[in-house]
Amino acid sequence: MKTAATKTKVLTANRLTDGIAVWLGANGEWTTSLKEAFLARHDDAVAAIESAGQQALDDNRVVDVNVIEVEETEAGPRPFRLRERIRSDGPTIDYAPAFTAGVSHAA
Amino acid sequence: MYRYDEFDHAFVAARVNQFRDQVERRLSGEISEDAFKPLRLMNGVYLQLHAYMLRVAVPYGTLNSRQMRKLAHIARTYDRGYGHFTTRQNIQYNWPKLSDMPEILEELAEVEMHAIQTSGNCIRNVTADHFAGAAADEVADPRPYAEILRQWSSVHPEFSFLPRKFKIAVTAAERDRAAIQTHDIGLQLKKNDKGELGFAVWIGGGQGRTPILAKKVRDFLPEADLLSYVTAIMRVYNLHGRRDNKYKARIKILVHETGVEKLTTEIEAEWAHLKDGELKLPEADIAAINAYFEPPKLGDRAEGWGELAAWKRSDPGFADWVGRNVAPHQHPDYGMVTISLKPIGGIPGDATAEQMDAVARLAEDYSHDEIRVTHEQNLVLPHVALADLEPLYRALLVEGLATANAGLITDIIACPGLDYCALANARSIPVAQEISNRFGDPARQAEIGDLKIKISGCINACGHHHVGHIGILGVEKKGAELYQISLGGSADENASIGQITGRGFGPDQITDAIETIVDTYLTERISSEETFIACYRRIGAEPFKAALYASEAEAA
Amino acid sequence: MTVIWTQDGIVENDPWAQPGSDSGSKLLPLAEALEHARDNAAFGVVLQPADDVRALAPILDRVAIIALTFPAFSDGRAFSQAMLLRERLGYQGEMRAVGTVLLDQVPLMLRTGFDSFEVAHAPTIKRLAEKRLPGIDLHYQPAADETHAGPGYSWRRTAMLNG
Ligand code: SF4
Repeated sequence: MKTAATKTKVLTANRLTDGIAVWLGANGEWTTSLKEAFLARHDDAVAAIESAGQQALDDNRVVDVNVIEVEETEAGPRPFRLRERIRSDGPTIDYAPAFTAGVSHAA
Repeated sequence: MYRYDEFDHAFVAARVNQFRDQVERRLSGEISEDAFKPLRLMNGVYLQLHAYMLRVAVPYGTLNSRQMRKLAHIARTYDRGYGHFTTRQNIQYNWPKLSDMPEILEELAEVEMHAIQTSGNCIRNVTADHFAGAAADEVADPRPYAEILRQWSSVHPEFSFLPRKFKIAVTAAERDRAAIQTHDIGLQLKKNDKGELGFAVWIGGGQGRTPILAKKVRDFLPEADLLSYVTAIMRVYNLHGRRDNKYKARIKILVHETGVEKLTTEIEAEWAHLKDGELKLPEADIAAINAYFEPPKLGDRAEGWGELAAWKRSDPGFADWVGRNVAPHQHPDYGMVTISLKPIGGIPGDATAEQMDAVARLAEDYSHDEIRVTHEQNLVLPHVALADLEPLYRALLVEGLATANAGLITDIIACPGLDYCALANARSIPVAQEISNRFGDPARQAEIGDLKIKISGCINACGHHHVGHIGILGVEKKGAELYQISLGGSADENASIGQITGRGFGPDQITDAIETIVDTYLTERISSEETFIACYRRIGAEPFKAALYASEAEAA
Repeated sequence: MTVIWTQDGIVENDPWAQPGSDSGSKLLPLAEALEHARDNAAFGVVLQPADDVRALAPILDRVAIIALTFPAFSDGRAFSQAMLLRERLGYQGEMRAVGTVLLDQVPLMLRTGFDSFEVAHAPTIKRLAEKRLPGIDLHYQPAADETHAGPGYSWRRTAMLNG
């Protein structure tokens, strides 16, 4: 069944055990990379990720579940809100010298 | 400083176990997030943008080296190697796992620390003057009373579900370094004309959406009545504080809506019943707690005077640092040293595990094992002999902790903002960094003189923007960050709330706007003796507004 | 299913019904209770958080049970109402927590003078039935419960351990 096209949406949450920001992937697993998130492009798909989110919440796997809007770019999905971009890319500052020395930085 | 006795150890251990049980119930799914949230908050655990955050209390800002080393160890073992000192004498970890929390709390308990009531609608960590016990101008050490309040308020059965959070601050000098007028209860320890100790009691101060300065409800409360009087205030607030709107739930609104006279009458009526009851503090107990805060035995070190003068002559950098970051101590041969956590272009209040270890070591070597955390997000070594200042300075330089900017324009308070905080509307830290870089030149900072910039990433005002000489508040407008400026705020004994200048500035304009304000001040001031806040109070907001919005005025 | 729990365990055949129910003895709202006190039957009172408990003073010796309401876990007014009833008015009868009663609040409620609890959450009922309360036996402040004084400072108390 074809449903109305909407702005592309993805489902995000934080993992219960460690609080790390995650997105619902195409394979139904939660991933720590927004790039691997499942892109819901029409109402049915949005309803499906919403119900998957509710289920994960009920199963106590994640907390703070939200559907967010993204723009599809060549570099992958880019959230409209700065808040969500920061959730996916990390703090915009050079925050943990010792820790980040070993990790490459997404600009 | 205070040391836990058996009772305290057993209590904190029991609290850790209680929280462990709560976390287990959550992880097993026995309780939902809705039911767990108030429990985790009561123990300082938040869910932020990227991860959980743990807020650990540093009661009245006092730490020893062993505790500081433990904070470093926790940063290294359970987090990403750093921590953030806040405006409420707490330290926050930004990346701990929920499943690790019980273990972290157990480690903290080993060094007599905890995260009890660092969040939630309860009585929060009691704060005090960071120079307490060392300042030349105090009438007595306020920390014993803060400690009594800390104990009494811990897991208080009646006051754990208040209308809203509740903050108490204690100071003991005319010069208010604890910002008591912005607290729910502010206590100023003083002596009456008979030489007895007691408190001037202020209530109803607070920042947030509706900033209000506290009102004095009592000029002198005998020290023995501290707990009964605070109980009376808390009970009246718990029963009558508004619960229909979280923005109107702080005691400041109750004071405002009821009127201070009427509310004082109610508090006094309640107190009349409690005054001579079991909460009356026996002299022996006050004395016993005071004994823990005996100042260290500081030997005379008069040689420091001559040495200091010589070092200052040979090293202007050192001389600047002493001029800015060292304040007079009760003992003339000693000083109180502010360790700035505001390196130029750095993140205000952040310290790495290595820096924490270094501070611990330096406190042992030079400050009788004592460290303080300030509400301005710096650290203090309170008892340093003048003769030790030079080697201390060298050691701090190596650690990147010798920035000579205490009280200057780059000594900026900034909350975590949108880089971490789930409630934020805009980022705070990058704004602080850009301003710091713009004004980082030591000569320029010195020319500008005392100036406090305070930045919050949302209306909750954790960055105290309302009481900054220059306050910056981040808001979100049409999906973009926008920064409102307020001028003329102050958190000291002459407290005032800043006034908003007008329309806000985008992230790429805000530093220029601050520069315009600073330039206006430099032009307008009578002499370099007139500080920014004094100048503002003399000339008012208009010259600053005219400069800020000049182009618009022309266009109109 | 909702049950009533006290420190002796789950109460079978609790006689007190909330207003509006048609069986059992009644818990009356404050205004009705003040009215009802003129006749002679035993009655209980159910108070809302905004009620002034001091209004009960003249009829307190006629009241068999007072239920204090927690409309939400976050509304802690009943903790102060309970303290006033026990400490100020000297009320000795049964005092019940009704509404949203969380397991982790029960130890605090016991300290402020509650002695029975209306609970509906199944895992909470189970924990209570097993008497596994998540409380701390060391207290930094006096309250309405019976405790040992000290040790150490005047404000400290320790729990009386039953059994
Ligand atoms: S002021 Fe707002 S953004 Fe900043 S830490 Fe507080 S809640 Fe977060």
